[in-house]
Amino acid sequence: MKTEIVTDGNRLVAKFYGRLDTAAAVQTAEEVKPLLEAANKEIVLDCSELEYISSSGLRIFLGIRKEAANHGSNVVVRNINADIRQVFMMTGFISFFEIQ
Amino acid sequence: MDPHTEIILAEYDRQLPFFRRLERIVQITLQDILDSNGLAVTAVSTRVKTRESLAGKLELKGGKYHSIRDITDILGARIVTLYTDDVDRIAAMAEQLFDIDWENSVDKRRLHNTDSFGYNSLHYICRLPKTLVDEPDWPQLNEVRFELQLRTTLQHAWASINHDIGYKTGVEIPHIYIRQINRLAGMLEMADDEFSRIRTEINNYRRRVQMLVQNGELDDVQLDGDTFRSYLEAQPFGMLNHRIAAINQAEIQEVPLNGYLRVFVALGCKTLGDVDRMRAQYTEHAYTLARHQLGNTDLDILSSSVGIQNICIVCILANGGGKIGLTRLFNALNGENPQNELLAEMTYNQALNLSFMQNK
Repeated sequence: MKTEIVTDGNRLVAKFYGRLDTAAAVQTAEEVKPLLEAANKEIVLDCSELEYISSSGLRIFLGIRKEAANHGSNVVVRNINADIRQVFMMTGFISFFEIQ
Repeated sequence: MDPHTEIILAEYDRQLPFFRRLERIVQITLQDILDSNGLAVTAVSTRVKTRESLAGKLELKGGKYHSIRDITDILGARIVTLYTDDVDRIAAMAEQLFDIDWENSVDKRRLHNTDSFGYNSLHYICRLPKTLVDEPDWPQLNEVRFELQLRTTLQHAWASINHDIGYKTGVEIPHIYIRQINRLAGMLEMADDEFSRIRTEINNYRRRVQMLVQNGELDDVQLDGDTFRSYLEAQPFGMLNHRIAAINQAEIQEVPLNGYLRVFVALGCKTLGDVDRMRAQYTEHAYTLARHQLGNTDLDILSSSVGIQNICIVCILANGGGKIGLTRLFNALNGENPQNELLAEMTYNQALNLSFMQNK
């Protein structure tokens, strides 16, 4: 599991690679910390290379969204595959995130 | 400049730090009382009169003042309210909070004759009582008076424009224009009363709705943003959410559910009674769907929308809405997205063997 964060104009784009499961969650939580400090920026969670997300991964996404809201930022989740979309739907979070 | 004015201005220069201190205390006191009463206002402001402004005042009516203590508006505070009722409410708070110099206070609203309109504002001349501030090193904090002005946003707008017009022209304004300006004051007075009346009626309506929701008389309540919010406050989907959470011993994260209003409207609900009947009718099936979806996973975090979402899914499928109906649901909840069609198909396939899908 790997996370890359790049700045794209007024956006911060975090790209996730691999499986965001319980084992990977601690390292990923550390890697996404710069997103938690972003104020008034759009945060894009690019999931085009993310294969799987567990509850631990959902908690990380929720944490990012909560902190972003506190800082006046907006979070967009992009390019999720069918399985991850289903996870978002089954847990009821699909209407909570802006998913593109 | 005459010697009397010079003496008062010199006193002003000496006391300026004191007035700044008084200003801070009054500002904080007013903000605290508004916050603690949950009263939203347009503005709370304070100012210490500038030396130039004081000199101008003394030039105009200097003989009226023996000393700086006679000038009651060197510190001025102003609260601009949203509603005319709030002026009286804040006035009552100020009466509790400060010692009011009634002899010099004036309610300009009551000064107009029945057939005249114009400046409307409540001016209280106040002192800080020792119960509020008691600083032995600054005894004058309890002695020096300041002015508190209370007015509505519309009164403030009128007063500001009237002041601007009156002072900028530098020539006497013809009677016709004064009449036109005062006519506007009358119109704004009516608007203020209307805003207050509308607020009161909306609050009464909300109370009636809450009562009907509490009494379960939901068929009498039209479905709209306000009533749906009141309905959700009773957490009608809470029990279903907890049953679903128990499948994987999941935690529930609270999320807003207001977006489901348009879904229920699209599903034909006209009253809260319609929504609640749908909830009651499809709760068991919604639980079954969740168990079917989540039972084979280890997902132990859910949003509080999971119950209401599944009820909507089941309602659509049980009534033959099929994949197209689900796509519309996901479009309404998530925004239009081609992926919603895929999601609808997956959801449809998951539910295919459940009892509410028989003969669909």
